[in-house]
Amino acid sequence: MTTKLPRLAFRNIFRNLRRSILSAVAISVSALSIVMLFGLLDGMEIDMANNLQSYYTGEVRIRNVDYEKYERYNPLHLGVDWEAIAPILMDNPSVESATARISFPANMYIGENSQVVMGVGADFSTEEAFIDFPAILKEGRLPEQGKNEMLIGSAMARELNLSIGDKVTMLTTTAARGSNAITLQVVGIATFPVGSLNTNMFWAPLDRMQYFLRMEGLSQEILVLLKDGAKESLVAQEIHDEISQSLGIETDTRSWKNLNIMYSMLRIMKVAYYFVAIFFFLLGSTVIINTTMMVIFERMREIGTLSALGMQGSELTKLFLLEGFFISVIGSGVGVIIGMIGNYYLSKVGINFTDAMSGIDLEVSSIFYPQVNILKSFFIWLYAVVISSLATFIPSRRASKIEPVEALRYV
Amino acid sequence: MCKHDKSKKHLLFPLLLLLVFFPSNLSAVSAEEIIQKMDELATFETSYSTGSIQTKDRFGTKTSTFNAWSQGESDSLIEFTSTAERGQKILRTKGSLYLFYPDAEELIRLQGAALRQSMLGSDISYEDMTEEKNTLDNYKAVLEGTEAFKDTMCYVITLTATTRSVAYPVQKLWIDTENYLVWKAQYSTAQGRLLKEMEVLSTLEAGGRVIASETRIEDKMKRDSHTYMRLDSLEVNPVLDKKIFTLENLTW
Repeated sequence: MTTKLPRLAFRNIFRNLRRSILSAVAISVSALSIVMLFGLLDGMEIDMANNLQSYYTGEVRIRNVDYEKYERYNPLHLGVDWEAIAPILMDNPSVESATARISFPANMYIGENSQVVMGVGADFSTEEAFIDFPAILKEGRLPEQGKNEMLIGSAMARELNLSIGDKVTMLTTTAARGSNAITLQVVGIATFPVGSLNTNMFWAPLDRMQYFLRMEGLSQEILVLLKDGAKESLVAQEIHDEISQSLGIETDTRSWKNLNIMYSMLRIMKVAYYFVAIFFFLLGSTVIINTTMMVIFERMREIGTLSALGMQGSELTKLFLLEGFFISVIGSGVGVIIGMIGNYYLSKVGINFTDAMSGIDLEVSSIFYPQVNILKSFFIWLYAVVISSLATFIPSRRASKIEPVEALRYV
Repeated sequence: MCKHDKSKKHLLFPLLLLLVFFPSNLSAVSAEEIIQKMDELATFETSYSTGSIQTKDRFGTKTSTFNAWSQGESDSLIEFTSTAERGQKILRTKGSLYLFYPDAEELIRLQGAALRQSMLGSDISYEDMTEEKNTLDNYKAVLEGTEAFKDTMCYVITLTATTRSVAYPVQKLWIDTENYLVWKAQYSTAQGRLLKEMEVLSTLEAGGRVIASETRIEDKMKRDSHTYMRLDSLEVNPVLDKKIFTLENLTW
């Protein structure tokens, strides 16, 4: 009898196909939801890390040792010597690329109206490794070195009614702690992945911003990208020591993971994501448990008949356990595969949350690209199978202990 | 009748005493007259000066030099000559303040909250620059008494704003009783919170008037910061081109 049990259990699936399909679909939908949610969360996490590295910190960030202490005063005079540091970075075998930036607040004047914006002075040739400008450029071109030109976000262009060729004047505090203004022409409009970059940031050539801010040869910070496999914190220490030895200056050189605010934010977001995931997981589990238990309790009369025909309690338990196992293997398998296909498709086309996220100031892109994670998907499949099988175990064990006469009353 | 005459004599004596010993200038001048005189003496028909603004703060000392032209109560033009700000100009005409920067293709008109910004990172705000020499139009003056300030007898006057368009709701001034120079000023909120303090460190004589040649200004809202404003030269009533205070002139 025992050797026939798997075959019997498998045949039972087709005896009431509609019920089996319903049960499998419930398991399948739960597994699919969990796979897709995990894919989305993975995508958000990777996206946030990429955005932090591309737009804010690089993998290693170099600043003047006192900059952070006075950061709220916008101390541009506490810059770093880009021209002196660049050759040191290029000599380091772990460094892939480096770029200098100057970020500063400015008042943008359009006629008699003004608006507070953030300016970034950048060398667009070295920025290539950090930001895929051609991909995000929607209109016009990138600003050229030596020219008073700028690139703005598409949301800023829309809100301020700016288009290619328009000129605006920026007023700011310089490194000499005086003020200065410059008129810049809009030559490019880009759609940045992060909302805040899109709405209030402009990018201008580094050399013009150095002149404008009275920072000739200096930059506010240097961002570094490392070669694959390089350990950020070790290379950061290496770079710090090399600059110190070569130039005799102390710098604040840190791995992006050691930059308190940004990485902490990412970690907080990660915890928040996993809380959401756990809730979905539990929700999915209750659906699976509920469906499987209902299927068993529905079949009390059948259990009574089988007992009356002489099937032992343990065999009954095994039979229903096997039946649940087969249904969950198929159901969660289908769900996980569909989820992975969905994630793969969405990882190519993305999910556009631009409108929903307008005004939300997070370093996460408004278009999400879910990730396909085979290991996590396999774990979800395994989890769904175990949960479904366990869910059949409890009612089938209880059913196996019921006397045939009593079981036959369940009609 | 005789008794009545005697009582009159009793009253006359203390009155005479009062007239002899009461400071003549105090009894003669009202708070409004002092403020009017102060405004008059601080205003030239035209003037040309050169000087510097030295700001000391947590990051060190910064000096900016300037040439300045003024005309009457409300027109003035400052052109900065120090390297970091060379060519930048501030034009003040009645009720308006314009900034000219050599690299900007348009003039910036400062208004509203923007006027509260610091000028060149100093303790002087643009709003301080726009203050016109018609104090009594905006303030009610009360003479608190006299007080010696650095061995100089001064009127102590409190000005309370009657309009909301002024930079400081309350001003307390120490005004020289002889030459009406403001030796010290404290600028506060209506609730009495001290916002800024000004003190004259040295003076010069020009056009028969005593003018502050070195002033120390401290913005109490900033930590470890104070500014010295120095006049190196002052030419009173020079002949100035009328166009000098026009927007068209600003951009050349």
